[in-house]
Amino acid sequence: MNLGNMSFDNGILHLANWMGNVIMPTLAAVFIIMAILQFSKGQEFSHSMYGALACLLVSGLTRAFETFASQAAWNNPDLYWITIRTLIDWVANVILPVYAAGQVAAMALRLGILSLVQPTSGWLRHFVTAALCLMVSGLLRLAEFFVAQGGGGVT
Amino acid sequence: MTTLQLLNDIISALLLLAPSAAVLSLVIAGISLRREGTMTFAIGGGFTKWMFWAIVFLTLQPLLSWFTSFGVPVPLPGGGIATGWLASLQADLAQFMTNFVVLRLVPTLAAFFVLRAILDAASGQHPLPSVLAAMFLLGTQTTYNLLQSYNTGTRYATVDVLDSVWNHLVGTIMPIAAVLALIGAILNFATRKPFTRLVAVALALLTVSAIWKLLVSMM
Repeated sequence: MNLGNMSFDNGILHLANWMGNVIMPTLAAVFIIMAILQFSKGQEFSHSMYGALACLLVSGLTRAFETFASQAAWNNPDLYWITIRTLIDWVANVILPVYAAGQVAAMALRLGILSLVQPTSGWLRHFVTAALCLMVSGLLRLAEFFVAQGGGGVT
Repeated sequence: MTTLQLLNDIISALLLLAPSAAVLSLVIAGISLRREGTMTFAIGGGFTKWMFWAIVFLTLQPLLSWFTSFGVPVPLPGGGIATGWLASLQADLAQFMTNFVVLRLVPTLAAFFVLRAILDAASGQHPLPSVLAAMFLLGTQTTYNLLQSYNTGTRYATVDVLDSVWNHLVGTIMPIAAVLALIGAILNFATRKPFTRLVAVALALLTVSAIWKLLVSMM
């Protein structure tokens, strides 16, 4: 055993690589199986489903986080705030519009298929969710407007 | 008044044993890393304490030069150890540290920590602290070489090494730890446990220097 070539840095780096590139893709299959079983029992399965997807995206998410954390110089005191803000921007302006498309598709399915069987199915909820996903910035501005209006206090 | 030869030799022997003491401190630091029980090492806990002593032993000679500036002359003996039995005692102890502790005992301890990781998982605890302790122990020699490369040999050598260790921790180790935090967040999300804390931690681990600057600018 050549201890001269073994370093803690290499060890933890290879541990992270092994976890991200070997174990997590394997666990993705486990979470898909769990999602199927939860679906069959009528339980909520979205966490397992999205979890399986995230397990396959460790490298991509790491690169995304690195991009979020490099929006300003390393010694900029605002970097952590900028990083969190960039993450929120990304969720609101990239992920939620995609989620909105999914909700529109779910609404169409409800309207086209399920409403024939169950007229009270919640297609409207999917429609409103899709609309809200596309309106995050507007809702934030609206909340800010309300707060700004109340700046003078109650008279 | 001249210093006794035996006293000079004892000082020389102790100074020559300082690197061995530094390695031993690193080994104990590795054990403390697991004994503290969590994935986070407590500042002021056993791990940081032994890391600090390892750095002090490594920079003992430059540190002693402070006494000269205080007006207390510290004439360090040069050359080897003249007293035969003391020289052989020093050589034997140094050899014991290298051949017995570092080359044989440390890998065995690391192997036991791997077993401990499995047993930790079996008892419902997290295996990562034991795995990290095993890695730290296996990297003892390299960590020692790394610390030595940071030794500037000046009066400020101890704090120079501490500064460089902080930079290494923040610039090299923490970004890798961020990936582990992200993996933890994904696993927590999939198993419906709180995950946003780990996302925030992953981002913080990628921006430690900036958070330090933020703190400084707040003062």
